[in-house]
Amino acid sequence: MRALCWEGVGKLAVRDVPEPGIRAEGDIIVKVRASSVCGSDLHLINGYLPAMREGDILGHEFTGEVVETGPGVQRLRVGDRVVVGSVVACGGCWYCRTEQYSLCDNSNPQPVLTEKLWGHSPAGILGYSHAAGGYSGSHAEYIRVPFGDVGAFKVPDGVADDAVVFASDAMPTGWMAADFCALKGGEVVAVWGAGGVGQMAARSAQILGAERVIVIDRLPERLATAADRLGVETINYAETDVLEALREMTAGRGPDACIEAVGMESHDVGPIYAYDKAKQSARLTTDRPTSVRQAIMACRKGGTVSIVGVHGGLVDKFPLGAAMNKALVLRMGQMHAQRYIPMLLDRLAVGEIDPGYLATHPMSLEDGVRGYELFEKKQDACLRSVLHPAA
Amino acid sequence: MTSNATRWALLGATTVTALGAGRAVARRRRRHQPDRQGGWYVVRRGVTVDRPMDAVIGFWTDRERLDRALAEWATLEQLDDNRWRCVASDPAGGGTEWRAEITVDGPGRLSWRVDEGPVPQRGHVDLVSAPQDRGTEIRAELRYRAGGLLRRVLGPVGGDEPDLGLRDALRRIKSLVETGQMIDTRHDPSGRDATQEKATDRVRERLTTGGRA
Ligand SMILES: NC(=O)c1ccc[n+]([C@@H]2O[C@H](COP(=O)([O-])OP(=O)(O)OC[C@H]3O[C@@H](n4cnc5c(N)ncnc54)[C@H](O)[C@@H]3O)[C@@H](O)[C@H]2O)c1
Ligand SMILES: [Zn+2]
Ligand SMILES: [Zn+2]
Repeated sequence: MRALCWEGVGKLAVRDVPEPGIRAEGDIIVKVRASSVCGSDLHLINGYLPAMREGDILGHEFTGEVVETGPGVQRLRVGDRVVVGSVVACGGCWYCRTEQYSLCDNSNPQPVLTEKLWGHSPAGILGYSHAAGGYSGSHAEYIRVPFGDVGAFKVPDGVADDAVVFASDAMPTGWMAADFCALKGGEVVAVWGAGGVGQMAARSAQILGAERVIVIDRLPERLATAADRLGVETINYAETDVLEALREMTAGRGPDACIEAVGMESHDVGPIYAYDKAKQSARLTTDRPTSVRQAIMACRKGGTVSIVGVHGGLVDKFPLGAAMNKALVLRMGQMHAQRYIPMLLDRLAVGEIDPGYLATHPMSLEDGVRGYELFEKKQDACLRSVLHPAA
Repeated sequence: MTSNATRWALLGATTVTALGAGRAVARRRRRHQPDRQGGWYVVRRGVTVDRPMDAVIGFWTDRERLDRALAEWATLEQLDDNRWRCVASDPAGGGTEWRAEITVDGPGRLSWRVDEGPVPQRGHVDLVSAPQDRGTEIRAELRYRAGGLLRRVLGPVGGDEPDLGLRDALRRIKSLVETGQMIDTRHDPSGRDATQEKATDRVRERLTTGGRA
C-alpha cells in the first residue's frame, strides 16, 4: 500500500509499504478515508519531539471504514464507518477507568524514554514516534488500530468525512482545553493560536458558557476565519502588544481563562524570540514557550491557564513567580480522546460544532508532501490539509 | 491443593517466563548498581494492577488466555501440593531453557528458585491491597548471582539485567491482567528497508526493555 513516511528532519515522501495485519485480539484494521495533518506532526517532522525513525508513517487524525476485526472485538463490525482517537487507550487500567485516557498505563509498549524524560510514561499515540509507542500512522491506505473497541467510534449518518475527521484530535483537544477552564458562564477566555486546535477550543469555550472569546495569532487569514466562523474577537500579535490589548479589552482584569494552543514551536517578534530560537536550534532548550509565558502574564489573578499546545522538555524563562503569586490554576495535557468523542459526535451531528471548514485543502495521499508544505508554511490560507488515500 | 495455589503457580510461571524473556532481549547497560547482600544481588520492584486481589489471582485460572499470551514457550508441571516446575524456553531461541521451581508459601505469597541456567536466582512475589480504590500492588524481590555467563555478557561491572527483566515482567503481567493482551508494534508497517528495520528494532528494544515498573 502507499503511505506518507518521515525520511529525516524536515523530509517526507510517499512510499510503498507493507499492509498492516491483526496482531492482537483487540485490533481492528481501518481503511482510511480521510487523514488530516496536525500541528503536532510539525514538531515530529522538525525533530523537536524525540525518537522518530526513518520510514515511520505519520498521521493520527483520521476516519475510515473497518475492514477487519480481531477475535476480541465486540462493539464493531466490518463495514462500520468510524472515527478513531489519536491517543491509544487500553480501557482496562485505572487511568482509563477514570477517563484519563491519554495517561493509559498499557498502551505504550516502549515506555523507557518517556519514563526517563518525564518520570512516567503516558499513553501511546498513533503515528507519533517511537517514544509514543512506535505505532504506524494513518497517512496510509490502511492502519492497524489497537484496542479498537475503546478507540474507534461509529460515525453518525450524514456527517462528511472531512468534518468528522477532526473528531479524532482537533475537536477533543479543543474541548478539553475549554473543559480545563471550568467555566461557569459569562467568562472572558483568550486563546493563543488560531490553528485547528485553537479554533475548536474557541468554539468549545463558547458552548461551555464563555461570554467573550478572544483569539490571538499573527496570520490575518486565520484570524479572519475565526472571526467569521465563530464570531470571536481577535488580536494580531505581530501588530499589537498582546498583554496591553488584553488588559484594555477586559478593563484591567485580564482574561478569566487563557488557553494555549500553539505548542513548542511558538513564534514571536523581538529579541527574546531570537534568543529562544537560537537555543532551540542548537538543542540547548527543547521548547519555545512564548505563548505560555504570555498566557501566564495575561491571565487574571486566580484565573486558569490551560495548555494543550504540545511541549516536550525543558523551557527557559518560565514565569513561575507570576503563576505562583497570582494564584493561577495551571491545567495541561494530551487530550483524553475517548472521553469526549461520543459527546462531540452528537454535537457534530446536530451542527452545534461544524469543524468542516478546517479542511481547507483536501487532496490525495500522493500529494501529501505538498500538503505538509502548505500547512507548515501556512500558505494559501491553509488551516489543515486532509489526505484521501482512497482517492 | 486448592485451586488458588495452582493459579498462584501460574502467576509465578509467568513472572519467571517473562524474566527469561527479559533476560534474553536485554543488552549491556549500566544504570545503578543493585544492592548486594551476602553474595547475592537484590532488586525489588513493584507494580500496581487495577484489580482487586481475588481478580489478580483469578486471572491465572484462564489457562487458555494464559497459553495464548505467554505459555507458548513455557510448561508447568505439578510436583506436589505446593510445588511446581516451570520450564521455559528462551523465546529469542538458542535452545536455552529455564527451569524454575515455584512454591506457594501462603495466600498472596509465592517464591521461586532457579538453580540451573546462566543466572541462579531466588525470588518472591507478594500481593498487597493498594490504598484508595487502586487495586493490588504486586511486589517482587529478586536475588541473583552474577557469575558465569552473565559476567561474560556484562563485563566485570556486573549489571542490572535481571532488574530490567523483572521490571519488564511486571509490566507485562499488569498489561495481561488489565487488558488480556500485550501491545507490540514491532510489525507495524513502515517505509524502512531490512537494514533500517534492524536498526530500528534495536531502538525499540532499548525503549522497551525495563520500563519503570
Ligand atoms: N494536547 C493535545 O492532545 C494536542 C492535540 C493536537 C494538537 N496539539 C497541539 O496543539 C498545537 C496547535 O495545533 P494546530 O494543529 O492548531 O497547529 P497549527 O500549526 O495549525 O496552529 C498553530 C498556530 O499558532 C500560531 N502561533 C505561533 N506562535 C504564536 C504565538 N506566540 N501566539 C499566538 N499564536 C501563535 C501560528 O501562527 C498558528 O496559526 C500544537 O502544539 C499541537 O502539537 C495538542
Ligand atoms: Zn494531533
Ligand atoms: Zn488504559
